[in-house]
Amino acid sequence: MAYGTSGKILRIDLTQGSIQVAQFDEDFYRLYPGGKALAGYVLLNELRPGTDALSPENVLVIANGLLTGAPFSATTRFTMAARSPLTGSYGESEAGGYWGPELRMAGFEAIIITGRAEHPVYISIHDDQVELRDAKILWGYEPEEVQAKIRTELADKRVRVLQIGIGGENCVRYAAVTNELRHFNGRTGMGAVMGSKNLKAIAVRGSGRYHDHAHDIKPISEIGRALGKRVKDHPQAWDLQVKGTPGLVGAFNTGGFLPTRNFRQGVFAGVDNIKWEAYEKILSDRHTCYACAIRCKREVKVDDRYQVSAAYGGPEYETVEGFGGYCGVDDLQAIAKANELCNRFTLDTISTSSTIAFAMECFEHGLIGLKETGGLNLRFGNAEAMVKVVELIAKREGIGNLLAEGSKRAAQAIGGDAHLYAIQVKGMELAMHDPRGKVGVGIGYSVGEYGGDHLYTIHDTLVANAESITFKGTEPLAIAALPPRELGAAKARNYTILENWTSFGKVVGLCYFGPAPRSYMQVGEVLAVVRAATGWEDVTVDDLLRIGERATNLARAFNVLNGFSRKDDTLPERMFQPVEDGPMAGASIDKEEFQKTLDEVYRLKGWNPDTTAPSRDRLRDLDIEWVADLLGV
Amino acid sequence: MKLHLGSYLSWYVPQHPSRMEINLDKPILLAELVAQLKLPVEEIAIAAVNGTLVSVREAQISDEDIVELHPPNGGG
Ligand code: SF4
Repeated sequence: MAYGTSGKILRIDLTQGSIQVAQFDEDFYRLYPGGKALAGYVLLNELRPGTDALSPENVLVIANGLLTGAPFSATTRFTMAARSPLTGSYGESEAGGYWGPELRMAGFEAIIITGRAEHPVYISIHDDQVELRDAKILWGYEPEEVQAKIRTELADKRVRVLQIGIGGENCVRYAAVTNELRHFNGRTGMGAVMGSKNLKAIAVRGSGRYHDHAHDIKPISEIGRALGKRVKDHPQAWDLQVKGTPGLVGAFNTGGFLPTRNFRQGVFAGVDNIKWEAYEKILSDRHTCYACAIRCKREVKVDDRYQVSAAYGGPEYETVEGFGGYCGVDDLQAIAKANELCNRFTLDTISTSSTIAFAMECFEHGLIGLKETGGLNLRFGNAEAMVKVVELIAKREGIGNLLAEGSKRAAQAIGGDAHLYAIQVKGMELAMHDPRGKVGVGIGYSVGEYGGDHLYTIHDTLVANAESITFKGTEPLAIAALPPRELGAAKARNYTILENWTSFGKVVGLCYFGPAPRSYMQVGEVLAVVRAATGWEDVTVDDLLRIGERATNLARAFNVLNGFSRKDDTLPERMFQPVEDGPMAGASIDKEEFQKTLDEVYRLKGWNPDTTAPSRDRLRDLDIEWVADLLGV
Repeated sequence: MKLHLGSYLSWYVPQHPSRMEINLDKPILLAELVAQLKLPVEEIAIAAVNGTLVSVREAQISDEDIVELHPPNGGG
């Protein structure tokens, strides 16, 4: 009986050059229905604690979710996971685009990659024909050329290519992975893991359909049609399509919590030059991901002071702001160029821009000088120097070699007060969201398994007003409407529920922009498609949350086994200091209150507040008691 | 006065403009303007007049003002 997947996993050992197909069954899939859950299961079982993230022994898991490739909007995402070379923790990143759905059409749920090839290779998958191919002539080339060469070599223009650029080849610790040149597994350095394995790319082509393994395609198609029609009538979906995330720059600045100059300030004087109205002038086209009617992807083109190719898409909010206000740069052409270079070299734009802002602050404090920067005047606001440093990082040249290690390691090497300017948690740089303006995001930065990411939870601002569309969309999740800056037991409760919901999305392959709280897709519709895809009629909203919680517990167990504990669940000192200016001037997070809230988060999660290890009881409740044996709890 | 409607707030207004110029003969409450434009007040999370954050219910606006309204925004 079809239950939503082929159940097939590809196992590739690059050292041996071996390729095998493993099969799991429905009972297994009920517990680990893809994405983050499947990745966590594999890493816990197959990766020895303490393994060097850049060694052949690291295990790279690429996993679709239960809904990846379903014929409706926002079902595009797949997970890449391994021990992170940036954080040493469980590392993971999701991407949309077309590659995940294509893998499903080729009949595979996931790929597990171990070992290290003797020379650069790429993996070619065409339905059940899988082979390792020589990539020596592709090494060192940029993604656009590599994609074209692979398509020519395989004589197939429609092959989907997942690949790394030179940032990945050079094992920049926050190297990303790209598919179709415009979609990225951005965070935690999965590109460096590919580079360390001499794996340049994975080309996929499938002739199957999502329908092949769906239990009942009819309700899925009906909801898909309804979603397709809904875009124009739904304010958030319409906004994502028309303005998209770059629209956040102006709003955050007005609110006073636009991360500016390495999180020192909350407003940026040059904001008019980088906000949506300026972005629109370099906008050249709009694109989408597989089957998605929202069409929120933008493309920019510049042919002026900088030349920016349209082939690599356009910057999202994180990137506009990261290379903008965060580095004190108000030149949108330079920002677009920095984005294009990151995409060419496959670098995570958040960690790249944050690490450069860190270096700028070190430069301004005299901790590094012209000698270290190779003559670059690396002050906040120097757009030209910023763009140059992106290239140096990818090539690991000059100061770039140090910054390619990430801000935490660079601060350790620089010494003195440099650690105060590395705005990171667990070694990963914070995203462009100030937790002093929305503390739930700060809880995520702190307890999230791989540090400073903004996608562990739903942002407080979206669920602050009980009458708003975004809050109403989350009603089936039974959370409370709370002020964004409020800490305490109620916030801890909201956090744990919303983290489970977000984690569920990462398990099943849903894009963050589709379901609640954006609520283009209602919680009830998500439940209906899960039931239809699997035939699991008894599944409830609580079960969806448990799927998310189980995945988070697997990742947490991985961290505990790798030596992480409460001391690593922290925030940069700067977040406990006041914002310097603007409407939020003086706002900071109360340290004691924050720790009390974390205590409550651990209590609700059933985690030990010191070791952060999940309790046996909770793991049993989640049907993964075997993890308690691994942890010895 | 100049009005900037951030993110999806412009969806509620015919033709969906992000920016509008509106003539005000006399000062009015921001809440009145919001009602005239049929903007759902529950979707306004940030309101600023000339760069200063204000409450929609209490703020007065006049013809020289620059008003910004933004809905709840999250991450992405
Ligand atoms: S909402 Fe945007 S990012 Fe998400 S799947 Fe659709 S087009 Fe891709």
